[in-house]
Amino acid sequence: MLEEFLTGNDLYHLVKLWAYQGVKVPRNFRLLEELEEGQKGVGDGTVSWGLEDDEDMTLTRWRGMIIGPPRTIYENRMYSLKVECGPRYPEAPPFVRFVTKINLNGVHNSNGVVDTRAVSALAKWQNSYSIRVVLQELRRLMMCKENMKLPQPPEGQIYTN
Amino acid sequence: MAESSGTDPTVDSNVVENAAKDRTMIVVTVKTPKDKEEIAILEDSSVAQFKEEISKRFNAKLDQLVLIFAGKILKDGDTLNQHGIKDGLTVHLVIKTAPKATSGSTSQNSASSSGTPQANSSSSASSPVPNASTPPGTGPAIQPPNLLSGFGDLSSLSGMGMGSANFMELQQQMQRQLMSNPEMLSQIMDNPLVQNMMSNPDLMRQMIVTNPQMQQLMERNPEISHMLNNPELMRQTMELARNPAMMQEMMRNQDRALSNLESIPGGYNALRRMYTDIQEPMFSAAREQFGNNPFSALGGNLDSGVQPSRTENREPLPNPWGPPGTAPSESRGTGSSTTTSSNGGTAPSVSSLPNPLGINASGLGNGVFSSPGMQSLMQQISENPQLMQNMLSAPYMRSMMQSLAQNPDLASQAMLNNPLFAGNPQLQEQLRHQMPVFLQQMQNPEALSVMTNPRAMQALMQIQQGLQTLQTEAPGLMPSLAPGGIPGIPSTTGGSVAPEGPPPPTQGSNPSADVSPSQQQQQLMQQMLQMFAGGVTTTQAVTPEVRFQQQLDQLSAMGFLNREANLQALIATGGDINAAIERLLGSQPS
Repeated sequence: MLEEFLTGNDLYHLVKLWAYQGVKVPRNFRLLEELEEGQKGVGDGTVSWGLEDDEDMTLTRWRGMIIGPPRTIYENRMYSLKVECGPRYPEAPPFVRFVTKINLNGVHNSNGVVDTRAVSALAKWQNSYSIRVVLQELRRLMMCKENMKLPQPPEGQIYTN
Repeated sequence: MAESSGTDPTVDSNVVENAAKDRTMIVVTVKTPKDKEEIAILEDSSVAQFKEEISKRFNAKLDQLVLIFAGKILKDGDTLNQHGIKDGLTVHLVIKTAPKATSGSTSQNSASSSGTPQANSSSSASSPVPNASTPPGTGPAIQPPNLLSGFGDLSSLSGMGMGSANFMELQQQMQRQLMSNPEMLSQIMDNPLVQNMMSNPDLMRQMIVTNPQMQQLMERNPEISHMLNNPELMRQTMELARNPAMMQEMMRNQDRALSNLESIPGGYNALRRMYTDIQEPMFSAAREQFGNNPFSALGGNLDSGVQPSRTENREPLPNPWGPPGTAPSESRGTGSSTTTSSNGGTAPSVSSLPNPLGINASGLGNGVFSSPGMQSLMQQISENPQLMQNMLSAPYMRSMMQSLAQNPDLASQAMLNNPLFAGNPQLQEQLRHQMPVFLQQMQNPEALSVMTNPRAMQALMQIQQGLQTLQTEAPGLMPSLAPGGIPGIPSTTGGSVAPEGPPPPTQGSNPSADVSPSQQQQQLMQQMLQMFAGGVTTTQAVTPEVRFQQQLDQLSAMGFLNREANLQALIATGGDINAAIERLLGSQPS
């Protein structure tokens, strides 16, 4: 359903609708933009993101994917994430958690939740940042000395809580 | 109908289909971290079909391709529509070079920069290697201790006379050391002495049978004696014992079988029954030693009588003929704490019996004595002279010593192969020199009688302790008293002190930086014999003092009155007086 928004007048209509809800316009605009970027593969191709559910009108629940950087222990693995953009996004940073199990400093071992304080993009969030920025920073963290050799759980495991 | 000229086979077939069914072609960009291709595909294609095209274009196998769109991995059964993939959008591609290879996206793409594939392939070369080596590494590391612990328990039962918890600790430590280094294990197994032992089933059987505890066990569990009587089985077991890898494999299989057994309804009960029937008598027999280790025995002994293969594991156990060098390393492996710490390698299991020998061998090494396990062992021995007696009275002990005495080279070599000594060539040298003498003395019945005489042992220990105290209280006063404790066990302990009485002056006159090799050897030998007699020792501390006695005297003569500092300097410089002086001058303001 949202594909239609990308292609024309419908978008305008919808935005008008949202405009009545005030604050939401900038948020939805932003998120729509991010949706489009995700679909067009903006960036270097090492991260990907998109709506978890195409029918999600609130554009809240997103899915991300990080391709493990080469020459690290994360190499050749794909890490799936859930990103939640709350109502105050982009003024407030999104909640990020890993779905694929990972051993990375700043990510809770038990549930994959990313510690806001550990990721500078989240800790020092600016409204010009985006989901892509967060994903890319997480990928950079994987390349840090302190992380790049951490032993990892077997491939394919996911957090269940 | 716009039929293309046929230059692009992809489009060709699609166009044909398209013409027939009036579907829409879309062009999707497929992007890898390093490359980008545009692929035309039918709008309503499945992901599998899409991958086909991609596989052709990127020259990669289907199962190497992973497609990601909008943060989701595209599964083969999905359709492009399902994910909202439309004309002009970008899909991310990751090409896996191998299950654990590099980030395949670039390495497979011939069009990509040449530098990358090499970088990738080198990293792919390295990454499979650690991956490959890890499992085997962890395999042996994990598996062996279980086996050995099983053996260790049995050995504790086997009434080697070693009913001492500390000894088991020792065993554990040695085993752990051994187990952490699979090469040691194979080294030990390669030892000709061990192999000789292994190839003589009668001997092994005899050893097993003569063990009183084993006899008890056999009474209670006829299957065991049946097994012992089965030459085929024995041979098999020994073959297995010879090959640690095979042993580990077997252990793994058994663990798997065991866990399978658990999952069978009623299987758990069967296991428990086995456990109670077999395990408990053993346990109660060696209760104190197990301590926190119920599982070790469980892992090793559980299936005795149920599966011959399990019981077989005990076969290699009683190998008192394991070379002295191997004995210490193996004898340390007892009931390690977890089931997962199963071990392979018969040698470790084997030598759980030859503990006495283990003590002997380890008694010969300074380095060994510095290990806490050894020290506690020595303490144990000194506290419990009975222990020593039991040890020595073990029949195979005597024959073992005999054979060693006859063949000192073999013994030395065996001991040198001992992983404990591996890192200490100096120690090995000393051992090599002293081994023949030591063995001679061990043969000496007087020596043996001294060792079996509890009072004599106590007296020896008292002297040892007294000497140590003296050492610490008045270092240098009797430098060679400590090493010169017992020139030979037969000679009285009192006599050992006297001859060494006036050494300082005579030694002081010798300006040479090093004590002569023979003197050193003698001292060392005496130390070892002393240690063997029992008593926690701080040999390490003694030796430098002794060695540097002359230098110390020289230094004090020169005016360096701080004996402690002198000693430190000498230790640091390895006995070099000039360098020690430099050091001392450098550290002193004057």
